Amino acid sequence: MSSALLIEDLAKRFTAGAKPAVDGVSFDVPPGEIVVLLGPSGCGKTTTLRCVAGLEHPTSGRISIGGRVVSEPERGVLVPPRERDIGMVFQSYAVWPHMTVRQNVAYPLKHRRAGGGNSKTDIIAKVNDTLELVGLHDYAERPVVSLSGGQMQRVALARSLVYRPQLILLDEPLSNLDAKLRVRLRDELRRILKQTGMTGLYVTHDQSEAVVLGDRIGVMRDGKLLQMAPPDEIYNRPADAFVANFTGASNVLRGRVLGRTGDKATIDLGAVGKIDAWTPQNLAAGENVRVALRAENARLGESGATNAFTCKVIERRYQGMQTVYDVDMGGQRLEVLELGTAARHTSDGEIALTLPADACWAYRDDGVAVE
Amino acid sequence: MTATSAAALPQTGQITAAPRRLGAPLWVAFLLIVLAFLVIYPLLMLLFGALSDSNPVIDGFGKFRPSLDHFVKVLFNENVHLAFFNALVACGGGTVLAVTIGLAFSWIVVRTNTPFKGFIAGASMIPLFVPPLVAGVAWGILGSPKTGLLNTVFKWIGIDWRVDFYSMAGLIIVFGIYYAPYVYMFTASALRNMDPSLEEASEVSGASAFTTIFTITFPLIAPAILAGSLLSFVVMLGIYGVPAALGAPANINVLTTYIFRLTAWSPPLYNTAAAVAILLMIVTAILVWAQQRILAGKSFATVAGKAFRPRALDLGPWRWFTFGLASLYLAIVVILPTLALVIAAFRKFLFIKDFDALFDMRQYSWVHFNAVFDNPLTMKSIWNTLEVGAITAICGGALAFAIGYTVNRTRVSGRTSIDLLATLPVAIPGLVVGVAYLWAWIGLPGGLYGTIWILALAFVARFMPDTVKALSTSFLQIHKELEEAAWICGRGLLGTIRTIVLPLARPGVVASMTLLFVLAIRELGSSLFLYTSDTTVMAVLLLDYYEGGNTGKTAAFSLVQTVILAVLLGLTNWLSRGAAQSSARVG
Repeated sequence: MSSALLIEDLAKRFTAGAKPAVDGVSFDVPPGEIVVLLGPSGCGKTTTLRCVAGLEHPTSGRISIGGRVVSEPERGVLVPPRERDIGMVFQSYAVWPHMTVRQNVAYPLKHRRAGGGNSKTDIIAKVNDTLELVGLHDYAERPVVSLSGGQMQRVALARSLVYRPQLILLDEPLSNLDAKLRVRLRDELRRILKQTGMTGLYVTHDQSEAVVLGDRIGVMRDGKLLQMAPPDEIYNRPADAFVANFTGASNVLRGRVLGRTGDKATIDLGAVGKIDAWTPQNLAAGENVRVALRAENARLGESGATNAFTCKVIERRYQGMQTVYDVDMGGQRLEVLELGTAARHTSDGEIALTLPADACWAYRDDGVAVE
Repeated sequence: MTATSAAALPQTGQITAAPRRLGAPLWVAFLLIVLAFLVIYPLLMLLFGALSDSNPVIDGFGKFRPSLDHFVKVLFNENVHLAFFNALVACGGGTVLAVTIGLAFSWIVVRTNTPFKGFIAGASMIPLFVPPLVAGVAWGILGSPKTGLLNTVFKWIGIDWRVDFYSMAGLIIVFGIYYAPYVYMFTASALRNMDPSLEEASEVSGASAFTTIFTITFPLIAPAILAGSLLSFVVMLGIYGVPAALGAPANINVLTTYIFRLTAWSPPLYNTAAAVAILLMIVTAILVWAQQRILAGKSFATVAGKAFRPRALDLGPWRWFTFGLASLYLAIVVILPTLALVIAAFRKFLFIKDFDALFDMRQYSWVHFNAVFDNPLTMKSIWNTLEVGAITAICGGALAFAIGYTVNRTRVSGRTSIDLLATLPVAIPGLVVGVAYLWAWIGLPGGLYGTIWILALAFVARFMPDTVKALSTSFLQIHKELEEAAWICGRGLLGTIRTIVLPLARPGVVASMTLLFVLAIRELGSSLFLYTSDTTVMAVLLLDYYEGGNTGKTAAFSLVQTVILAVLLGLTNWLSRGAAQSSARVG
């Protein structure tokens, strides 16, 4: 079965000679899957999405939708957006203020050349079904400007779903909503997309959105796709120091490789001693590395079989549901998170600290700041 | 902040309490009296004229016999109907053409990758500065049925087709091409402020570019299109120069030319003129009111203060086609008329029997310029124009500053009335201002009539809304707290204005005064009724030359006027830029 979306070596330069906004990105999306592109602003995720939509013109590479090449500059192929059979939800909603909810949703059915020829009753039925799906059937005849932000975004979603395109593109659709609404619509969005069996490409800078919505997450930085994997893999087996940091592994210990067997490495942390860590990289003995660790994976007050250390609590920040400790471990600083409403550790004396080898990830120290 | 300023104000108030408590009402009364004198009194006199049949020159004001009969009689006069109908056709047709050109231009400039867009956008504003009469004269030279340059060229190429701009069609075309920038100004900014994803959403939905433009883009900027077309219609309705130059030879009268003809009658029909002027004013007022309502209404396209990435459509090779269209417009509206004026001004006789004769250098000389400057009135009119312009700029600028500050920066009671009176002239065409001032002063012995000052006062009143509006914008840019800080430092109100407001608002003040100066020196409509042989101005003298029938002299003087205007525009532009820079250093 062919991919719903296949991107091969996509590159986009806005001005000749400048740094590319998208730099050799490749991935595919099987039918029915939702892929989320995640990354900080300016990482090229939106540009990638807009290239897929046909709103930006790639510099090189190939994009195929449903087995059909829609963009390949080397061969002069460029299919305009309207013939790509895609739906798109914009960050600014982009619902047309001079129309009612029904007119907005019916618009694609009326104006599509491909798959056109919808009869009037067809259009009404399809619009009603879709509005039902997004929970707006009571609002069909309202002018769109009288709706709230969340409702407008539902209209935009209905508008892109109503003609059942092969692929739906979502460009930070929740970022203009307030926090509470965002969480609700996020869960609902996944339900609706899964219920309709849509293939989706979703762009966001919000990890929590990415984790909940995506079947797979692609982390991007500086135009490059760093890792494309299911959410739990992104969170537990980040491919490099940036992905680890971006997904929340904010602790970094510096050291030197003593030895490696397979994906297990032993690292000398200097004054602290040795630490065992997992690594996806082909590290050699003597290399400088950074060991990344999530604050919630460090176990304060426990003395395990391996990777057991002692540390001193420098500062304690009680946050109600959790407590954050700044600890000093042989001259290296760590942040440790303790869940629960009770803060059990105080700042006097030495405390045991275990860093589970599975949760310590070693990456080559290339001298580039990860943040 | 409000708490501190509220606490600080009474204290400073106490120091200068006695004069200030009386000061504010006195100041408001003063401004209201000045505005009433400038705006209300002439309008009342106009109404008085329309509603009576007594001639102020002959009868004085003692015999006021008010009667609606006179006004009603005018309303049912066939000639008035014809003039009204002609005006609607000419301005309506002109507006349709202006909307077409203006929309196309704004789309090309804002939404496409047409080469030299910046230059096109700048150059397309030139028609706004061309005095209407000069444009009319130039198109008369180009498009007159017998000697028109266009017809000569057509004959030479061998096209069996002749144009006649001395016609309704000519009037419509010249109106349309010269007032398209008004539509462009509104629609271009609306397009610029429109969220591009609204159009992208339509494209992704499967609609063609054509469908997108007509179902999404244009409906979204409809308020701007409507506002722009209403404005251009109103401006055309009040223009005298173009219909005087192109309509008169074919005996086509619009409201403005008809009003002037009434006063040129012997004996002058001042009462009838006043009645028709009121008719013109009512139509204008309704349209202006409608336009303001549209602008005040919530516009679809502009979403609150969001910056959008400009979306330029890649036209590929077609971008040279759009460039060609834009260049063609600029050639028609700027280059062709200028060329026509130059040829007519320097040729001894305009009759050109064939195309080759056009390049016969023996035919060219300075004879028309010599004739123009041999006339003592020419230099006099230039001086008069500059003098009127200077007086208007200084008096109008000072008054607008006082009004703008009082309306925007104080909470004195009565400031809304001041604002209303100062905005009122927006609905009064220049020609009507002229008739109203004529009625206001002609009967008063030893009054203003026959002096430069009546022209200047009429101009101040006529352009008050534009000047106040321009100044208010610069007041709004100065944060209120800057003033409050000076008050707290112990400065009085006048001291604060002198040391804080005036220096900060200087670029705005200079810009408004120069705008006023330029507007005043090209004004024709209101001058027509107020000049005497001693106080004639350039625009009026040009009309004299034109009606005298000597095309060479008319063209020569048109060129003189254009050059003076261009030099002044360049100078004022340079001046206001200098002012903006020096204040940037201060700020």
